[in-house]
Amino acid sequence: MHELSMADGILKAVLENAQKNEVTEVLEVTIQIGKMALLNPKQVKFMLGVLSEDTIANKAKFIIEEIPIEIQCLECGFEGKVDVDDLDHYAPMVECPKCENKRISIINGKDCTVKSIVVEKDD
Amino acid sequence: MHKVSEIEVQHNIMKANKKLADKNKKKLEENDVFGIDFVGAIGSGKTSLIEELIQNMDGSIGVIAGDVISKFDAGRFKKYDVPVVGLNTGKECHLDAHLVEHALNDISLVDVDYLFIENVGNLICPVDFDLGSHMRIVVVSVSEGDDTVEKHPFIFQSADLIIINKVDIANAVGADENKMATDAKKINPDVKIIKTSLKEGKGLDEIISAIEKFKIIIS
Repeated sequence: MHELSMADGILKAVLENAQKNEVTEVLEVTIQIGKMALLNPKQVKFMLGVLSEDTIANKAKFIIEEIPIEIQCLECGFEGKVDVDDLDHYAPMVECPKCENKRISIINGKDCTVKSIVVEKDD
Repeated sequence: MHKVSEIEVQHNIMKANKKLADKNKKKLEENDVFGIDFVGAIGSGKTSLIEELIQNMDGSIGVIAGDVISKFDAGRFKKYDVPVVGLNTGKECHLDAHLVEHALNDISLVDVDYLFIENVGNLICPVDFDLGSHMRIVVVSVSEGDDTVEKHPFIFQSADLIIINKVDIANAVGADENKMATDAKKINPDVKIIKTSLKEGKGLDEIISAIEKFKIIIS
């Protein structure tokens, strides 16, 4: 639901980096979104397209990589990835895949990161 | 001539919020203030709960009233002569640490023991945004339907106290408050759950004692 503010944050980070590197055009942006972040990647992509109009990223291709959820189980000590691909929910219930306990700590999968940009510069 | 190259950015959007949230928490702690974030759907009873707490809790209370248009709730709190800052989010669906950071500048923290931050009515978006508070209270009412808890696992997983409100009308709206409590327990096994009817004052003492206990545990 807050895809717009996230897309705004993403684009700001992209444009700041572009400006710092004296870029003339942003061609590609790779974004990583954790599967536990309450963000719909398709909506983020759509918002980025809208917000980047009239910027040097207006022709950029936005690539979204989804990052799997990794947990540590506070009961049995399991550490690793949790498969939530079979769920149709953007807020998957996460439990330990080994002992099914819900006393867990999330190690990875909540973040939203601008990984890299491909740019064009004047020689 | 143009040259194409790749630049590593590695800018974590969530971490930017977390960093500000940590700063907010530090500021509260420097002033001996215990911060509580109140989250719940529109009409769950967050504002009524805060009104009751202002009138019945020991210690001085300050409030940040966050809403798409905050003047209505802020006006309700001002009646009790407590420091209140209204925080308009406009079209945004949640508060974030940056907005709270600004609001903290408008409240005299040395004069309060508790800072209540009322979030925008929403069970989804606030999950992703730490504000820097010490405790999160999630308020859900039976009139939202007794499947509300299981449909929004993340917000209930992030709660330090869950309040199931308006139990006096559970029969009238065909909701089972015990199912809601069972669902909450499944999602967040260690959390304290209190069933209330704030309109009738039921459960209020239990909430106050749960807040005081939580404050002692984490400080």
